[in-house]
Amino acid sequence: MSRDVILGRIRAAREALAWAAPQGAEPGTAAPASDALPALPPAQRFPDIVGLFVQRARQVGMLVDIVASPAEAARRVASLCGERGMRRAAAWATPDLAALGDVLAAQGIEVLAPGSSVEQVATADLGVTGAEWGIAETATLVLPSGPQQPRLASLLPPVHVAVLAADRIVPDLHALFARVGFLPSALTLITGPSRSADIGLTPVLGAHGPMEVSVVLIRS
Amino acid sequence: MREVALFVTCLVDQLYPQVGQAAVRVLERAGCGVFFPEAQTCCGQAVFNDGFQDDARRLAAGLIGALDGAEAVVAPSGSCVAMVREWYPRLLRDDPVLGPRAAALARRTYELSEFLVRVLGLSDVGARFPAAVAYHASCHGLRGLGLREEPVRLLAAVRDLRLVPLPGAEECCGFGGLFSVKFADLSGAMLAAKLDAIEASGADVVTATDVSCLMHIGGGLARRGSRVRAMHLAELLVQG
Amino acid sequence: MSGPRIDMIGNARRALQDPALQQQLRRAMPSFRRQRDAAVAEVADWEYLRSTAAAIKDHALAHLDRYLTELEMQVAVRGGVVHWAADAADARRIIVDLARRRGIRRVVKSKSMTTEEIHLNPALEREGIVVVETDLGEYIVQLAGETPSHIVAPVVHKSVEAVADLFAAKLHAPRHERPEELAGVARQTLRAEFLAADMGVSGVNFAVAETGTIVVVENEGNARLTTSRPRIHVAVMGLEKVVPRLADLGVMLSLLARSSTGQRASVYVSLLSGPRRPGEPDGPDELHLVILDNGRTRLLGDPDLRAALRCIRCGACLNICPVFERAGGHAYGAVYSGPIGAVITPVYEGLDRAGELPFASTLCGACAEVCPVKIDLPRMLAELRGRAVRAGHATNLDRLFARAWTLLMERPARLWIAGKIGRTLQRVAVRGRRIDRLPYPLSGWTAHRVAPPLATQSFREWWRMDRGGGR
Repeated sequence: MSRDVILGRIRAAREALAWAAPQGAEPGTAAPASDALPALPPAQRFPDIVGLFVQRARQVGMLVDIVASPAEAARRVASLCGERGMRRAAAWATPDLAALGDVLAAQGIEVLAPGSSVEQVATADLGVTGAEWGIAETATLVLPSGPQQPRLASLLPPVHVAVLAADRIVPDLHALFARVGFLPSALTLITGPSRSADIGLTPVLGAHGPMEVSVVLIRS
Repeated sequence: MREVALFVTCLVDQLYPQVGQAAVRVLERAGCGVFFPEAQTCCGQAVFNDGFQDDARRLAAGLIGALDGAEAVVAPSGSCVAMVREWYPRLLRDDPVLGPRAAALARRTYELSEFLVRVLGLSDVGARFPAAVAYHASCHGLRGLGLREEPVRLLAAVRDLRLVPLPGAEECCGFGGLFSVKFADLSGAMLAAKLDAIEASGADVVTATDVSCLMHIGGGLARRGSRVRAMHLAELLVQG
Repeated sequence: MSGPRIDMIGNARRALQDPALQQQLRRAMPSFRRQRDAAVAEVADWEYLRSTAAAIKDHALAHLDRYLTELEMQVAVRGGVVHWAADAADARRIIVDLARRRGIRRVVKSKSMTTEEIHLNPALEREGIVVVETDLGEYIVQLAGETPSHIVAPVVHKSVEAVADLFAAKLHAPRHERPEELAGVARQTLRAEFLAADMGVSGVNFAVAETGTIVVVENEGNARLTTSRPRIHVAVMGLEKVVPRLADLGVMLSLLARSSTGQRASVYVSLLSGPRRPGEPDGPDELHLVILDNGRTRLLGDPDLRAALRCIRCGACLNICPVFERAGGHAYGAVYSGPIGAVITPVYEGLDRAGELPFASTLCGACAEVCPVKIDLPRMLAELRGRAVRAGHATNLDRLFARAWTLLMERPARLWIAGKIGRTLQRVAVRGRRIDRLPYPLSGWTAHRVAPPLATQSFREWWRMDRGGGR
């Protein structure tokens, strides 16, 4: 069985190495087996992580709207739909986004609930999601999957709007991983719109996913 | 007075003796007593780079023997020093006699600019050279020995010398020992980029810490009929 | 192991004679480097990150059996299935069998060098399965019937015009000229493939042992679609991809994004822990993780080359390499190119086949300086050169040179006499203190440069005359 073959090879490699190991690791060669896991860098400290998030989000091509309340966030998303003539939205159905869905529906926008067919979601003009965390250093949105949090809502529609609470912004990746406890089937880190520079080194947005990502930042 | 053994390197010995002579004078002006252990020849890099490690070991043994007594060894070549410092201890790791001697030699062998700046604490060696000079950072000195500032500090202190920026100064010139013959086309293409940058820099002279790179660059400049001359750092530091 | 000897010298010569390729490379590589340098420069302690990453990888490699079995268990706990593949054939068999048992007709793939390495596509196609590459670059490569030429930028060798021609010819669509139009065509075509596919195959950038999490990094979103939409997700990982802790990703992802594409963060990082869970509207029903050896354990037991397994496939060593910049990735004749390719290909495919690759370098050291996990690539290349010679791969000319050089240099007297003789002989060739043409095998030198003559008086002769000898 390949499993035993491979594990056997790994152990044989370690033994061979123990015999061959010169005194002390040379620079550039793997160190001898150590049982201690290396310490990880502490989270960085930034004076204004919300400001940093906003600044860097704009640098990676995300639009940021700062609002004062969930109700204002809902109005902001609804007016976006109105301005752009969007008719159909694929949305998360988490409790904090329920009011938003109602506002959109009241405006005559068809809201596709989780569980809608992928073909339907693919025809949506807009995907509306929350974000569990934001990362300031990299301007990253962190989206868990779940029964009310379809993965494809942030991926198939051409425009993705994420609602993020400012107090969920952490300084950097180190801080994020220090905080993540429960892992859903998919935890997705999103930094800007889908992009590719494969053709002629020219950056193109919306290679497969949304060409536009907006963050509605609730700073109460 | 500090006693210094000059490891002149085979290329300087046979092709560019004026570089060795300049190195002697610069070191003497810096207050060192220079001697030349005549048993030395080649560090073995030429064969080592082509994969002939046993041959390299034989030549390493010869050089270690030739330089054994010296308190400090100085060479006008970053790549030969890198060979001694990085590779001798590894090549002779399993040799109970030569291994420790290789390690000891590695610890007391210096490239010229490294020795002047780091060991002697000098930056001005009293030279004067009225010319526009571009500095090419030879790879093994730069990355092998970590000499980023040292040659530049020495050049900056040369009176009337105007150091002109060389775009891509830290990019390899394409020499690489036998690479330049075996992969002649690649080497030539890398050289062409280096020569273009040198000629565009407005320099009268291009300098470096290795005659191997300069043989390559200077040979390319001459083939082009360029007015820019290639000179080793030691040759500039001895002027005036 | 298989295939003819890779002729890097000839491949490089042909690459240099291809003006379109040269134009692409000379445009792309400096721009990749600038982006990387800018992204690295803003990190306060890059060296500390690099050292930490190297230490994490070394630790994982030192306890690989423990972390792989932990990963296996954690993946299983979350409902995934782990397969072990000793070599490429084993991996192909596992995936083809699975596809056959599940009645798979259409497969979408996201970019994965590992699946290139195991030549998965032809194996699936032989079963009558349609396989579609969905990374834009890989899609272009597939349409063109080529192979990727760069581990991060697979079609760096192709101009916009070449892509426009290709799309017009293969997609029976009206000809588009602009990158955004071409990307739009691909998006539309591939969207349909995603909706139709019943299996998605991805690579793995990192696998977290403690949580059984597979990490896939990308910018386009095709990997998210590949791992979310089809009912079966197969992830193929080299066994060196395992990291112990979830928190190790903080270090690894920072280094990878900045080193590979000069981004602070890649657009999408998917952390996948098992297949879809009850009640979830999307995600695959099945998740299969294939753990591949295929020569990696040979590296693991090799004290001189083992650290090459730290590699996170960022491509920084390719981007900085002056040889890669001129030869391009295809010249290396293997899946992995550039300095890292020149190190691992000879181990994976044998020195018989890839023995020339380690020589295709000036050992300038630029690759080691940018490597985010501090792999000492030039040292490894030099080491492999030694092995190639010991294995008898040196040409007669090389052997002759080495013998002659060593004999000459072993005794100072011989060098002195040879110098004397050489100075007499060279008179026929020296014109104006230079030699314009040397005979083969040194003609390669004088093709691009003049050669210096031996000095009329060597240094050692000067020393004798001027200084009366010394010690």
